[in-house]
This record gives sequence, C-alpha cells and structure tokens, in this order.
Amino acid sequence: MSRFILRRFFYMLITFWMIVTVTFVLMHNLPGDPFANSEKLSTQQRALLSKQYGLDRPILVQYEEYLLHIGQGDLGVSFAYPTRKVTDIIKESFPASAELGAESIIFSVLVGLILGITAALKHNKSWDYTAMFIAIVGVSIPSFVLGPILQYWVGVKWGILPAALWDGPANRILPALTLSFMTIAITARMMRTSMLDVLNADYIKTARSKGLSQFAIILRHTLRNAILPIVTVLGPITVNVITGTLVVEQIFAIPGLGKYFVQAVYSNDYTLIMGLTIFYSLLLIVVMFLTDIAYGFIDPRIRLAKGRN
Amino acid sequence: MKNILEVKDLKVSFHTYAGEVQAVRGVSFELRKGEVLAIVGESGCGKSVTSQTIMRLIPSPPSIIKAGSIIFDETIDLVQLSLKEMESIRGSEIGMIFQDPMTSLNPTMTIGKQITEGLVKHQGLTQEKAQKQAIELLLLVGISRPETRIKQYPHEFSGGMRQRVMIAISLACRPKLLIADEPTTALDVTIQAQIIDLLKDLQDKIGSSIIIITHNLGVVADIAQRVAVMYAGKIVEQGTVDDIFYSAQHPYTWGLLHSILRLDDEEKSELVPIEGMPPDLLDPPLGCAFAARCPHALNICLKEDPQTQIIQDEHSMACWLMDKRVKVKIC
Repeated sequence: MSRFILRRFFYMLITFWMIVTVTFVLMHNLPGDPFANSEKLSTQQRALLSKQYGLDRPILVQYEEYLLHIGQGDLGVSFAYPTRKVTDIIKESFPASAELGAESIIFSVLVGLILGITAALKHNKSWDYTAMFIAIVGVSIPSFVLGPILQYWVGVKWGILPAALWDGPANRILPALTLSFMTIAITARMMRTSMLDVLNADYIKTARSKGLSQFAIILRHTLRNAILPIVTVLGPITVNVITGTLVVEQIFAIPGLGKYFVQAVYSNDYTLIMGLTIFYSLLLIVVMFLTDIAYGFIDPRIRLAKGRN
Repeated sequence: MKNILEVKDLKVSFHTYAGEVQAVRGVSFELRKGEVLAIVGESGCGKSVTSQTIMRLIPSPPSIIKAGSIIFDETIDLVQLSLKEMESIRGSEIGMIFQDPMTSLNPTMTIGKQITEGLVKHQGLTQEKAQKQAIELLLLVGISRPETRIKQYPHEFSGGMRQRVMIAISLACRPKLLIADEPTTALDVTIQAQIIDLLKDLQDKIGSSIIIITHNLGVVADIAQRVAVMYAGKIVEQGTVDDIFYSAQHPYTWGLLHSILRLDDEEKSELVPIEGMPPDLLDPPLGCAFAARCPHALNICLKEDPQTQIIQDEHSMACWLMDKRVKVKIC
C-alpha cells in the first residue's frame, strides 16, 4: 500500500509541474498586458513597469524564477493589487469558498446516497419515481437559474432565509443548496444503478442462502460494493463543485476566491491568474489522490493489484 | 426410512410482459435421509427454479408458487413459511452451492467473514469461536494454511478453491439438506472431479442429504443414488442410477444417454443429438411436452399429457409408450 501511495504521489508532482508549465505558456501568449489603461502609457513608462515586474527578461528566465518561487510556496505579488501577495489573497478569501464547497459536497453526497439507495430498494415503486424525478430536475436546472429562483422566492418573497451575503449560518443555506442540486442528482442516479446491479449479483444470492436478514444483506454485502462507483466520481464531483463556486459566489455576493479569479482574467493579472490556477489545480490533484487511496481501501482487489507492480 | 424432503405437485410460474411462463409444471419427488438425488435435464427445463424454490430464493414477484407443497423434515411446509421464518432455515437447515464460484462470493469481504456470518447468525457463536470453526471448515474442504487463507479475499483464490470455500459456507452449520445447483459447470474438467469427490467425502462425514442439479450425466453416475430427469418443467422419469442408466424407459432419457460420449464403445460411434427445441413454456403444448421431438410419438401424445406411472419399485415415468393399451414395442 505504501508503495502505491508513493507512486501516486510522484505522478501527482508530474501532473502539477505540467499544469504550471502549460498555464505559464498560455498566459504569456494572451493578447494584451497586465497594466491597467495600458493604451495611455508611454513606451517609456511601459518599459519601466515591465522592468519592475521583470517582464522584460527572456521568458525562460522568468519561467525558471517562477518555478523556484513556487517551490518555496511564494506565488508573487498581484499586478492589480500591488500591495497584496497572492498567497495573502488566497488566505483571506479561500475559507469562504472552502466552507461553501465542503458544506455542499457533504450535504449533496449524503442526500444523493439516501435518494439513490431508497430508489433502488423501492425499485419501480413511487419512491423510486420520486427520487429519479428529483434527480432529473437537478441535472436539468443550472445553478445560475436555480440560484436567483431561490433568492427571489425563499429570500425575498417569503423572507425565510437571507438572499445573499456571508454573515451567519443562515447565509450558507441557499448558496449551498444551489450548488448541491447537480451533485445530488448525479450521486442519486449513480447510486441507484449501482445498487440495482449489486442487488442482482450472485453473491447477494449467496448471502440470502446463508439466511441473513434483508437488513444485514444490504448493510454488509450491498452498500460497500455499491458505493465503489460513487467513490470514483467523488473526484470529478469535487471539480464540479469547485468550479460551481465561481458562479454561485457571484450570484450570492460571497467574498470567496471566485470573484478574484474572474477579475484576474479580465485584467491580465499574471501572478494572480497563475497563483489561483495553481492553487485550484493543486486542490483538485490532492482530491484525486485521496480518492484513489480511498478506493484502494474499500476495494481489496485494487489495493493488491496496484501494490504488486 | 425417513424423508428429509417431499415435494408434491409443485407448480411455479413467472409473470412476464409476454404472459405467464410456467417454469415448473407439477413436480413431485422425495429425498430420503442421507441420500443423493440428481436432477438432470437440459437448460431451461426448470431444474434451477425447482431448487431455488425449495430455498425460496426466487423473488416474488415476478415468481409465484401456484400450487404444491415442499415438506421439509416431515413437518415443515416450506411453501407456507413467511420470509422471516425462512431465514432461520436457510443456511442452518438447508445449505446451497451455486454454479459460478467466480461471482458467488462477495469480492470486498474476507473469506473468513463470509464463512463465519452464518455461524454467528444461526448458532449465536462469538466471532472468535466462529473463526475457529471456519478454520476447521476450510481444512475439511481441503484448503491448506487456513489460518492465513481466512484473512484473504476471493480474488486471491482460484476457481476450484472458491468453490471449496462456497462448500465450506454452505456446510458451516451442518445443514440436513444441501442443494448443489450445477456445482461443477463453471469449473474445468480436472477440478470438476475433485469437487465431486469432495462432496462425496463430505457427505460421508457430515451425513447431509444432497440434491445435485446438473446436466452432466457423468457427475450423476459418480455421486447420486437416485436420478430425476426433468423436461419442460416436469419430471419425465425417475429412478435409481441403475434404472436410469441401464433400463431407461422414456424416449427423452434415451436421447440424453445417446448424446454423451462413451469410452467403452468398441467402434467409433457418433454422438446423437436430440433434434428440435424444447417447447415454449409461455404456451406449453396440450399433450406430452416432448412429443414434438420424440421419434416414437403416437397420436395420443399430441392430445393428452401422459400420467406418471410406476414401472418397478422406485422406477417411475410418464410416457404413453408404457401404457398397456399401446401395442407397439420398441427397443
């Protein structure tokens, strides 16, 4: 197992390096430059600014320096906010995004699993149809439609919950719900299919032939096997939720990282774009890495196969 | 001698979109204590449905037991039991082995856990005691180093070894009846013989009665004392192994016997397949189900289903050719 983890860790580093390099190259080939109102600047001023930020040096030198800095955990100073380091911006605004994302993932996976399991156990009965109806609605309505609807009805018309901002626990509910719908739908559908598959498996018949109760069969023999595909999609689900926060934060005026990301792209803020891209990809890579390890723990076949070679 | 199992006029149907499929159409047989009964027949003749109905393993719906009784141990009618009552019989009184050992073990649970589960449930053993028993069981079914093997997962076992594990699971609580549903079909030939030998050996040690379902007549001759030949949801001929192999009376049994290879033939003989297809059980024929494929069919065979009649002691069969009013003689 430890060899498997070590190998995965090594792959993780390679992926990370590739992402850094590709982002670096792409960004330096973007049209325009990072200086505000650049058309009003004289050539001299421009040269001065470029020198100050080291943009006049050959691109390879910049790349090398950048890699070295990343190695030390330094993502540089923002071009648009010259007084703030990128790491400080992340430190300040990431907690709100992370909280929203985490709440949404936990809530939606739990609800999705429950819906999926109920649907499978009550296969072709009204429970099943209800759960699958919710799932279809969830997949079909995008968050930028659902968000405003919730804001209008729940927030404004009924006034039950705050419609925006990030002040107290009540503020979390609507954005988290908006962000969760898609994930609930995906998880519920997958869990239902997977449960139905497992319930028809031969080893479930074996379990029944041992005289185990229906409850024990579901708990011990069905769930663990049925949840495997869900664990596999946890990675992509996290990606979905993280990219989803960019939109939902805008709708609900949440002071998270998403706001900075969008602005940084508009203003060609090289260091901030790089910094945030690197941060997000690192997050995703780590999530994928953890998913792989979790998968190995749940399914002994994978643990062994990967440990062997 | 006491009967451990008496199946009387069992009828099982499945409701499908196309209509009612009559999978088992009035099956009756008995199994004595300590006896091995083989049920043979081609695919789709209702062997597995019969055996799984005894265990009440077929979900209902879509299946329904339309008529009949399954008397176990002379007192309990398994057809009448609730699913909850059935749970206490499954695994403790009746054990079952399935066809494909590659898929009938849970891939994410250790072998030990899968064996002990039944022991803990039915005999109220602690996990430790059950573990000890599981080790003994593995030794009994011929798995070496059981102390290490017990902590392993199914994928670390070969097909034959997995079937041994399945046998250990089914025999864990020393059931009075063991149902083996094609236990050797998915294994290669050398392993088949080992598994059959193991079953014979265990039957001597544990003394369970066995119903073995198979389409392999070699297996039948090797292990069984009595044979029931099934065709299209009915038992067409029933008797001791000698009755069936040396003095079979039903044309279908003749067909089965002609379609196996024999090593003792003096000249090269060709295998003779039974021509045609079994009938559609959505709409079973009025007369004898085998009539359409039977080389000896009479007019009456198409119109009326023959009754089961006793030929001699335990040998019985259902065919118009044996009726006293029929004047033709074959053989």
